[in-house]
Amino acid sequence: MSVRRPKLPIVIGVHALLAVATMAVLYPVMLVVKKAFEPGRQFALSPSPIPKHVTLEHFRALLSARGSHGQLAFLQHTVSSLAVAIATTVVGIALSCTAAYALSRFRFPGRKTALTSFLVVQMFPASLLMIPLYVLLHELGLLNSLSGLVLVYSTTAIPFCVWTLKGYFDSLPRELFEAARVDGAGPIRIFWTIVLPLARPGIAVTALFSFMTAWNEFILASTFLTDEGKYTLPVMLKSSVGQFSADWGQFAAGALLTSLPVMALFYVVQKYLVGGLTAGAVKG
Amino acid sequence: MKAGDLRRALRDALLVGALLWIAVTAAFVRDRNKDATQRALRHAQAAAELVAIGDTPPTPTAAAAIVGAPVASKQHGFLRRRVAHTAAGERPLGGPTAPAVDKLLYDAAGRYDKDGPFVAMLSDGSERAVAAVATARGPAIAITAGPEPRAPVPWLAVLGHLGLMLVLVGVGAVLGGRARGVGVALGLATWAFPAYFAGGPGLALAMLAVAAAAGWAHATGATDRAIASVRAHKVALSFLAPAGVAMIVLVVVPFAVGLALGFYDHHHGRWTFVGLANFKRILTGDGHALSDPLNFWFILGVTLAWTFVNVMLHVLFGTLFALILRQPWLKARGLWRVLLIVPWAVPNYITALIWKGMFAGEYGAVNSILSGLGLDRVSWFSSWATAFSANVATNTWLGFPFMMVVALGALESIPKELEEAAEVDGASSWQRFKEITLPHLKPALGPAIVLGSIWTFNMFNVIALVSGGKPGGSTDILVTDAYRWAFERGEQYGMAAAMGTIIFLLLLGWTLIGRGLTKGDEEARP
Repeated sequence: MSVRRPKLPIVIGVHALLAVATMAVLYPVMLVVKKAFEPGRQFALSPSPIPKHVTLEHFRALLSARGSHGQLAFLQHTVSSLAVAIATTVVGIALSCTAAYALSRFRFPGRKTALTSFLVVQMFPASLLMIPLYVLLHELGLLNSLSGLVLVYSTTAIPFCVWTLKGYFDSLPRELFEAARVDGAGPIRIFWTIVLPLARPGIAVTALFSFMTAWNEFILASTFLTDEGKYTLPVMLKSSVGQFSADWGQFAAGALLTSLPVMALFYVVQKYLVGGLTAGAVKG
Repeated sequence: MKAGDLRRALRDALLVGALLWIAVTAAFVRDRNKDATQRALRHAQAAAELVAIGDTPPTPTAAAAIVGAPVASKQHGFLRRRVAHTAAGERPLGGPTAPAVDKLLYDAAGRYDKDGPFVAMLSDGSERAVAAVATARGPAIAITAGPEPRAPVPWLAVLGHLGLMLVLVGVGAVLGGRARGVGVALGLATWAFPAYFAGGPGLALAMLAVAAAAGWAHATGATDRAIASVRAHKVALSFLAPAGVAMIVLVVVPFAVGLALGFYDHHHGRWTFVGLANFKRILTGDGHALSDPLNFWFILGVTLAWTFVNVMLHVLFGTLFALILRQPWLKARGLWRVLLIVPWAVPNYITALIWKGMFAGEYGAVNSILSGLGLDRVSWFSSWATAFSANVATNTWLGFPFMMVVALGALESIPKELEEAAEVDGASSWQRFKEITLPHLKPALGPAIVLGSIWTFNMFNVIALVSGGKPGGSTDILVTDAYRWAFERGEQYGMAAAMGTIIFLLLLGWTLIGRGLTKGDEEARP
């Protein structure tokens, strides 16, 4: 906390501590990178994070593997994942924009209750709703379908989008809306021609988050999808290191391909996330 | 009598009646489909039994034959041909001129070879049933011709019922005073009759309860006030509607269903009402001793320990790194920060699988490092303490960056002048930490801790993918145990739902306590 610079040994000590901690933090990630380029199916033959031999064999095998109908398996799972994540994002954003605006700008009875319930639903994980949703989708014949999975993901995507967008709308200057109202614009016109264009960055960030959440979700997908042809990427990756035949090489290659893009996205948008999450928790 | 009274009473009755109508119709359709399914299954079974003894079935069938065992084709050894024996003689299944139902016969014979005699609906959505019965020459298979006819909608009864409802409501309104509410309640209570026939006594009771509530709300003027308020805020409410309706359909309904399922037992597709039996079974430990990993209280203990240890470590490491990263003399602060939040960016199922791989086996990365340091290799998943530690290590790794970022944000809000002034006044580092840093950290960390503890309490992926509950389910937490009830112990959805309700109540209690605790901080916020 000190404003002045402390003595040199302390400075060096702190840097060393930080270096050790960072090594520990990065070690598992480096192991995966190593495994992706190292021949062999076993996970770790040596604790060193540097591969002895380098090969692209795992990537080639992964990308050229074919499913039961002769289709390219990795491509198919990527398409499934993309479809689910994009559909979830679109549903989440489309349904929550107007609600977030109402909660941010209007005062009406039940507003507090609505805010709290959106927050509570967002905090309580989908695993609580998993059993009833499973039973309901079973009754509706939507088990083992990607559209059923989108419905399940929307249970958390919508409240998340409502809260994050509300936070963003709160930050827009109030005078703007007042001016538009004085000029005779109705609520729909204000929303459509002023709020939405202004909120574009906020909407983009929210959309990216809800895309990433759906893209990275594992347990619900593995419960609701039973047909291997429909697996999303996480389910496919998990099944590549199953109990009986584990191919860590392909897993590592797949993990890199699957998570590098979303990790990059994460760094682009992460500074907005904390604000949204804790703002919700503090104000709720 | 006032015309307004009649209008308002009819309005309330029709509004609530529309909801009841949806529920009763849904129950009616479900009941009717179940009935049709059962008839289809019965017909298929009867037809197959007749085919087995060489008779022709009385009801129309899409296909009916005794199908022989598969024989390798002469030209193509990998093809397995079957022969169908029908009343018209014998013919091979399949081939260029074969009818399309041959495929269904072939598949049914294959299923018979695997499972024995069966009767089931075809999974192609055509609402046809297929049955296979054993004979000496192979399975006798019958497939029904098409969807069974459904019972017609009793329109006359519907019309009569609607009339009765309106009359009761109208009479109440005409009499005025107390009778208005009673009329609405009685009119709506008529829904109990169709509900009883379509959905049983449970649904009928629910209708009566709704009717009573609606009557009471009408009598006290609650509906008038609600409608006036909706009118006054119609813009806001219509903006809220899309997400609100979606939440009701996707969250409120499943949630209510989940609460209700906890009172039922599920066995082979059949639901039986068992009252509080599931909860009793869970809370009394289901016949397991307290030290048994299958006892609820044992799992609860593990869950609480898991949550507490993890959140503590998250806060500890998160705050420690945040305090370090904040020092102005630190070199490459941005870079350290970027590297330290890598675990947050990695999808957590991948993290869990990596750590599982690192702990697994005698030659996993962790064991290799241990032996490199001259320590003994550990079989991580064969004792509780080591398996639990493996889970905690994984979860600490993936969870501390969140707390670190929250703490960093909070520390940034400390005014520089405050610290400089304290230093000039000769406050020690500890004093400055206690009097300046800590009060700034608390309001941000409080909610983050509540949020983080809920996440950890439900951290399904780490438990399921790292230790998988090993050894013997002893590292399971409540959510993974609920999952096992549903998907690994014979589809006991009722028990799983009861478990879900208990988890919800625990979290609700904790959130309320947590809010109480953090509220004080918020008021004290500088």
